[in-house]
Amino acid sequence: MEFWNNIINTSMIGTDKKTIAANELPGDLSIAIETITSNTTIDKEEKFLQIAALSFNYRRSGIMPLHKETISLPVAEPEEKTYCNANTLQVLKDILSEESVPLLKFWLEHCSDKQQIVLPEILPVLLAKGAQEKKLQLLVAQCSGKRGEWLGRFNDAWNFSQQQTAEQTWQTGTPEQRKTILREIRTTDPNVARTMLQQTWAEEDANTKLSFLSILPTELGEADIEFLESLATEKSKKVKDEALELLKAIPSSAIVQQYQKILQQSVEIKKEKAMLGLSSKKVLSFVLTENINESIFKSGIDKLSNKKEFTDEEFILYQLIQAVPPSFWENQLGEAPEQIINYFQKDVVGKKMMSALVLAIRRFKDANWAFLVMQYSEIFYLEVLPLLPLQQKEYYSNKFFEQHPDSILQYALENNREWSIEMTRNIFRHLAKNPYQYNRSFYNQQIHLIPVSIVAELEKFTPQEEHLRNMWSNTSDYITKLVTLKIQTIKAFNQ
Amino acid sequence: MQFTEEQILALAPDEASKKPGKDLANAAKWISKGANDKALWGECQGSGSKPYLTQIDINNIAFKCSCPSRKFPCKHGLGLMLLYCRQKNDFTNNNAPAWVTEWLDKRVEKEEKKITKEEKAVDEAAQIKRQAARGQKVADGMEELRLWLKDIIRNGILSMPERGFAFFDNMAKRMVDAQAPGLANMVRNLGECNFFEEGWQHYFTNQLVSIYLVIEGYRNLQDIDDVLQQDIRSLVGFTQSQEELKEQTGITDTWLVLSKQVTEVDNITTERNWLYGIQSNQYALVLQFIVRGQGSQLTLTLGMFIQAELVFYPSVVPLRAIIKKQINTTAINKFAAYNNWQQVAETETMLCSKLPVKGDRPFIIQQLKPVQYNNQWWLQDVEKQMMPLKNEHKSIWKLLALSGGDALDMVVIGKENKYEPVGVWYKQAYTIL
Repeated sequence: MEFWNNIINTSMIGTDKKTIAANELPGDLSIAIETITSNTTIDKEEKFLQIAALSFNYRRSGIMPLHKETISLPVAEPEEKTYCNANTLQVLKDILSEESVPLLKFWLEHCSDKQQIVLPEILPVLLAKGAQEKKLQLLVAQCSGKRGEWLGRFNDAWNFSQQQTAEQTWQTGTPEQRKTILREIRTTDPNVARTMLQQTWAEEDANTKLSFLSILPTELGEADIEFLESLATEKSKKVKDEALELLKAIPSSAIVQQYQKILQQSVEIKKEKAMLGLSSKKVLSFVLTENINESIFKSGIDKLSNKKEFTDEEFILYQLIQAVPPSFWENQLGEAPEQIINYFQKDVVGKKMMSALVLAIRRFKDANWAFLVMQYSEIFYLEVLPLLPLQQKEYYSNKFFEQHPDSILQYALENNREWSIEMTRNIFRHLAKNPYQYNRSFYNQQIHLIPVSIVAELEKFTPQEEHLRNMWSNTSDYITKLVTLKIQTIKAFNQ
Repeated sequence: MQFTEEQILALAPDEASKKPGKDLANAAKWISKGANDKALWGECQGSGSKPYLTQIDINNIAFKCSCPSRKFPCKHGLGLMLLYCRQKNDFTNNNAPAWVTEWLDKRVEKEEKKITKEEKAVDEAAQIKRQAARGQKVADGMEELRLWLKDIIRNGILSMPERGFAFFDNMAKRMVDAQAPGLANMVRNLGECNFFEEGWQHYFTNQLVSIYLVIEGYRNLQDIDDVLQQDIRSLVGFTQSQEELKEQTGITDTWLVLSKQVTEVDNITTERNWLYGIQSNQYALVLQFIVRGQGSQLTLTLGMFIQAELVFYPSVVPLRAIIKKQINTTAINKFAAYNNWQQVAETETMLCSKLPVKGDRPFIIQQLKPVQYNNQWWLQDVEKQMMPLKNEHKSIWKLLALSGGDALDMVVIGKENKYEPVGVWYKQAYTIL
């Protein structure tokens, strides 16, 4: 609208410097403009205001829509899955307003398991949540259906809802999406995951490389050795160190073999006289061999002890024991694991080495040794707890909860599986005593682990201390609210 | 009662009240509850020794609760309404207790009293004198405003961004002194122009010209027709007695609440409720001003249908109205929509010819679909004609989600060439965007 721009230009500069000319205005208005400009009773400012008012109304009265024959929007494909019912949608709205990511995940998992999708009206809120919570993106995409996928085309932040193949996501996805895909494939097909990684490795930056390596401990095995050993020439020290750490967790890797060789020459069973020479007993002997390849000291083994209870030689052995699989001792000493644990505990030096053995169990994820250590050790080693089968894990967690509440709670949180009711009772007894430390936000984040049946028992955990009671009462209400949403989710999806 | 959960939550006085309201939508929290065709009621066990008595008039939406909350409606009112919406069948008791019937009776009594209230005798001579004095004050104020506008135009608006708040506020205050609060607001709007936004000059000039038109209109008041005089007077800031309006016969119709726009300035919340009459095919704007801490007189819920008599303020383009009488009704999905943008443009031209300074208004338009053109979202009609979206970030995603690329019957609010979609008919139900 050229004439209106002319009005604006005059308005900007001011009538002192510029007067609007008749030829700058529409011909339709010429008679009216002539009447205004020929009016000698008003000044130039007033004349301009009258012309502007006239043009303003002319402009407003002449607005026409834009006609574009070729502009159109592709229509979203019809849905293949069914919509979830109104009740489930209501629960979803309540969960979204509660801002609990685990509850949202819980809801989305149910929706995805039932092969259902959300109604279109809630999609913008859900996709925005997905853009924020990267770990939920896959689930959000699954529950958003074709309409969600279609919406993602118009909003870059939502393009995770585009249904892509794993290969496409790996090639073009965001770092978080690529990590998720790598993690998934590593679990189902570890070799394919490694090959994928090898193919794009040269193009990744150091931080991305590090984040991908952090996924490899899942299903780590002999087939990974060649790739990990090739990383010794990496520019980034952090990447090199991470690769070495991974190699140290593969029993057949050269580095572990090298450590085993030293231990073979340094640790053995010896017969020792007992009962004034009347009988003999088997004891462990820890004498570091002189035949040590110095290269081990470049692989993370310290030469000097940093613990006062260890001599330098003992400390080297301690580090090596940590880095070889526990099953090595069965071959080396020719004894059953329970007997080996017994030897370690009976020996003065062996006792000190026991914690290295436990760390090795942890490193090589040896569930059998973990179970035996738990059974035959005189000391409770928390570190092996996560390696135990579910039932035993629960049993030992409950048994030792009072002695190690914070550590066991930590493992229970990391386990990411709903707690048994017995375990929950133990944990809640501890949590209720510390309602300020474990506040609403704690329960909001951990609600997926809390079984719904605990809600009937919350009052039992009320602390003795007067000043904590009120806080616990408020917290209980909040837990009840979260648990209710969990129950409602289950119920709504089973209707 | 035809409320959805979203509509009930829209009644909450603030965001913070929604959560506690939802928590109370739980049968376990209510000792007793009941409903009939007039009201909902319930006893809620709160922190006090006695349960709170909560009651809701569901025909002329109103809340009462014995809790000490100053919020209106309180969380108990919201909770009870939400609970009814979720579990209607649990409200088996339909015999209202005495405390509910008494309250409902009192409300009816109050309404009747309002209607039969006798007018005080008016001292006509004094009234004429007062009106003349005000007329003079307004005219004097306007002459000052005219000079102020001319000064701005002489020097150019380029220097306006540097003028600061006081330049506009002083003139607005002068207009308040001159008893022209409508013009005071227009001057304030001029000062509130976003000088950092590209094209501010257009907004500023539009506002400037509108003020000039009102000044000129007022100067020529005697020469224009009676109804247009009312428009000009109302733009200047002369108020119209609502009691007088209520004495007139209005339009009785089923009105759909199309949209509610809420703004808050200096502790006063302004609600702009946009209504559409199903039979009369008339659009209406019902304004409500709520002082913080006080309850609202009127509770209109988005998407709700009300059977009501509306009286329009006198205007050449009648839009603003008050509700004289109101009863709830059930949903009706019948409306006469504009066929295309061309018809909207023609209506706008007709309206502008009657009142050049008219503001936004709603339009129901058939079968619009969102399309992208020149990195902007537009609404395209069946004739492939398009208008750009106003405030597109606000509504575009929900609109797209519901549309999926298909055309929908839509309500837009706007003027000239910018329209904001506020609601659509999706699966035969009116859905707010």
